[in-house]
Amino acid sequence: MKWPLWHWQQGRQLDEELRSHLAMAIQDRIDRGESPEHAVAAARREFGNVLLVRETVRDMWGWTPIEQFWQDLGYAGRALWKARAFTVAAVLTLSLGIGANTAMFSVVRAVILRPLPFAEPDRLVAVNEMDLRSATPPALSVSWPDFFDWRRDTQTLESMAAYHVSNFTVTGLGPSRHVPGAVVSANLFSTLGVEPSLGRAFREDEEDTGANVVVISEEFRQRYLGSAADPVGRALAVNGRSFTIVGVTPPGFNFPVTSPPTELWLTMAEDARVEDPADTPMTRQRGAHFIQVVGRMRAGVGLERVQAEFRTLSAALARSDTENHAHRGSLVTLQRDAITGSAKRPLFLLLAAVSCVLLIACVNLANLMTSRGVSRQPELALRVALGASRSRVVRLLLAEAAALAIASAVCGVVIAWWSLDLLVGLAPRDTRGLQDVSIDTVVLTYTALIAAVSALLVGLAPALRATHGNLRQDLRATRTTTGARSQRRWLNGLIVLETAVGVVLLVAATLVITGLDRLTHVDPGFDTSQVATMRVTLPDSRYPFTKKVAFYDRLLPELSRLPGVEGAAIVGPLPLTGSRYTISFELPGNSVVDAERRLSAGFAFVSPGYFRAMRIPVKQGREFTTADTETSPRTVVINESFARQYLPGENPLGKRIKPGLSTTETETPWREVVGVVSDVKQQTLNEPPGPAYFVPHTQGLITTPHIVVRASGAIDAIPEAVRRVVAATDSELAIYDVRTLQDRLSNSVASQRFTTFLLTLFAGLGLLLTTIGLYGVLAYGVTQRTHEFGVRVALGASSRTIVATVVGGALSLVGSGLLLGVVAAIALARLMMAGLDFVQPPDISTYAGVAVVLLGAAVGAAFSPARRAMRVDPVRTLRSN
Amino acid sequence: MAAAPRHKNRIELLQGTLDLLILEQLRWAPSHGYGLSQAIRAHSGDVLRVDAGSLYPALHRLERQGLVRAQWAISERKQRTRVYRLTPRGRRHLAGERSKWEQLSLAIAGVLNRAGSSEA
Repeated sequence: MKWPLWHWQQGRQLDEELRSHLAMAIQDRIDRGESPEHAVAAARREFGNVLLVRETVRDMWGWTPIEQFWQDLGYAGRALWKARAFTVAAVLTLSLGIGANTAMFSVVRAVILRPLPFAEPDRLVAVNEMDLRSATPPALSVSWPDFFDWRRDTQTLESMAAYHVSNFTVTGLGPSRHVPGAVVSANLFSTLGVEPSLGRAFREDEEDTGANVVVISEEFRQRYLGSAADPVGRALAVNGRSFTIVGVTPPGFNFPVTSPPTELWLTMAEDARVEDPADTPMTRQRGAHFIQVVGRMRAGVGLERVQAEFRTLSAALARSDTENHAHRGSLVTLQRDAITGSAKRPLFLLLAAVSCVLLIACVNLANLMTSRGVSRQPELALRVALGASRSRVVRLLLAEAAALAIASAVCGVVIAWWSLDLLVGLAPRDTRGLQDVSIDTVVLTYTALIAAVSALLVGLAPALRATHGNLRQDLRATRTTTGARSQRRWLNGLIVLETAVGVVLLVAATLVITGLDRLTHVDPGFDTSQVATMRVTLPDSRYPFTKKVAFYDRLLPELSRLPGVEGAAIVGPLPLTGSRYTISFELPGNSVVDAERRLSAGFAFVSPGYFRAMRIPVKQGREFTTADTETSPRTVVINESFARQYLPGENPLGKRIKPGLSTTETETPWREVVGVVSDVKQQTLNEPPGPAYFVPHTQGLITTPHIVVRASGAIDAIPEAVRRVVAATDSELAIYDVRTLQDRLSNSVASQRFTTFLLTLFAGLGLLLTTIGLYGVLAYGVTQRTHEFGVRVALGASSRTIVATVVGGALSLVGSGLLLGVVAAIALARLMMAGLDFVQPPDISTYAGVAVVLLGAAVGAAFSPARRAMRVDPVRTLRSN
Repeated sequence: MAAAPRHKNRIELLQGTLDLLILEQLRWAPSHGYGLSQAIRAHSGDVLRVDAGSLYPALHRLERQGLVRAQWAISERKQRTRVYRLTPRGRRHLAGERSKWEQLSLAIAGVLNRAGSSEA
């Protein structure tokens, strides 16, 4: 077996040898006195055909299969070079398809397929709780005591760690900074199989209060501590208390997976700490569900066994602690799926859509190749006559498809490379793995694979068709009418298939466009323009509940007095941040002790002026005032859904409800309804309206709120103004999460917008390619039928009839494709609905819209061929045959 | 056909004889392809002309068979070219072929002479 390289080198040496022969012959003749021109000509003549000599020698060396392939490619390349217009059209079509696929796949790979950067990531599971009553239960958080029980009892997991995201304020390193972090159990790092690059991970005894140790990320170290110094052992002020740095995580480590990445880790000692010895720490409250759990399965244990074990464990828990765990089951999923979550299905859907585009491109190309095969019939017949076997000719034609696919793959990778930045820029910011999107070897392998499949799809059928039948006879025949007819049937079949795929794409695009349109026209229930939002973390150590309230009571009036500010307020949780708090409540005469039937509704605490600042209409009664203080009578504001659902047909004002919420009092108090406001969208624009109630922040400030500031003028200056006011109040505080409400609103539909944009783009591409393909087939049909049209015109057919024939042909093709596509779309619609939450089922108007677009495209494609058919000159056509 | 008269006196070589001629030439001194073609032509009194289309395939075939070895060298005319030399195996092969050829030519000459004498 000889390798191409060997042959290539030998070939170069041979060329040089032959050149030297010629040179010496010429020199000899010149020495003998011949003129240089004559010498060159005579030497050449004597030498003979250099190419022939070379080929003879090479033939003696023998050809390898690889070389034969290269040789075929070479022939194909030359043939394609001769048909440049065809080649450019073909490569353009195919490279668009391959490029789009490559780009899309690189995103899918980075976000979904790339393994998590932990040791043996397939053994990691996420353990959550869920509501057993719900049909599609969302994953719920776990409480520390539940976690401790599970960690003690589990047999299937070799290690189990817990964590919750928490934001810390770091002081002492320049201005106060807000840093994304997490509170974790000591074994988090060992469970994930990650070793700190410096120092050590947490020890088990550091889960107890008083440990005060912190692990920092490499990025944190570089940003704030300087990469030169060894930070281990240094002190770090976190939330106003001093911690010792014990370790640094390796670069790129990000768990819990957040965006921006987690930078600081404290142990759960942070949650075990209490301000007042009489309080119950979070680690002992079984009802406080706010932590996440990650476990590592024992070697050889499957997910089903873990799920079975946790079913038993949570059933036992539900029996022993009915109050907090009735209807709570466990939900064990692979960590990978838990992290990828909702991004997965839309991305796979987009990948499927872009594959459809490639399929359409391939069909187009197969069309072109078939037409080309027909026009090359005489050439192929000649090859067969000269002794080429059918398989040899098929191989030659396949090589042409391969050459096209290779060129398209190269162009496609360039296209993908260009469009990747655009694609990543469009994608929702908080998608995991987006920063890792790149065209690596796996992506390139995928590209090569789809290029190879495309080459086969494009080349094989036309090659078999072109060599079909008796080629020897074709050598004599000038026009094969019957062959042309079967050829046309085949082309028409391809067009129908192509149109059907296009229809599916168009239906999908129509659905997402209308879905997104519906979503963006949803009234969130508040006015998003001119509102800046931000947060400030008040360290618990220096700000117990009453001081927090005092801080905001001082801050908000100051902010309201700022020039350009119309009003300032706080709210927790802010709508469209993705959080929703649900807290149970009782109604008078319905004091259900039975947890099973306890009522619950959405909850938020707000400061006076919040509804005004957000322009949420107060329908009845009043909003909170500064008179609603910590010591005043307990009040509550409800929304219209709440009134409708729980207090139907009565005046809600003055009614009393008892939310399961207390801040400083020992007993949860009864509250009087003082106002009714209209509904707002809390988590997503997509959600149906639901009951919710609000309490004054002075009586319910249970988490870090958002500050909302409505500007009367320019909004850009607001954050800086707020920062100054906050810093003047307490120089160690930092504001963070600064974004306009408008930005939050638009970000809440970012993933839907991404899907819609791409799907529309792909459908547009598909439509364009289908139209081009249709045009190609119609134009080819007209060329083939010129003779027929000529005869018909000669026999008295009007040009109108001829045009009607062409356009009618186009419409019948598209009509068949439409029918087939609609059937496919109906079958696939459910699949799409499952992947996209904002899409509603297709209806008649969807299909009607798609039909109109397609038929329009068909008429457009038929226009020029029809005109050509109309202008057929019967005299000339008839004479030419 | 202007070139036709010039080839009038050329004799088609018998199969295998070209190899013999090449090896014989190389017995005296290593040479490049052009030198070989010139030498064969000169020593045959301008009767045997070996064209490049036969010479180079033959040279490369002999090289493959291990009868000659080729090396890049600078010719007397300062031209970088491939110079062929006889290998020991080629020398033995030549000796064998040579005696075969001599027997053959003697045999042919014998036949021709008898025919010639009877004609005379």
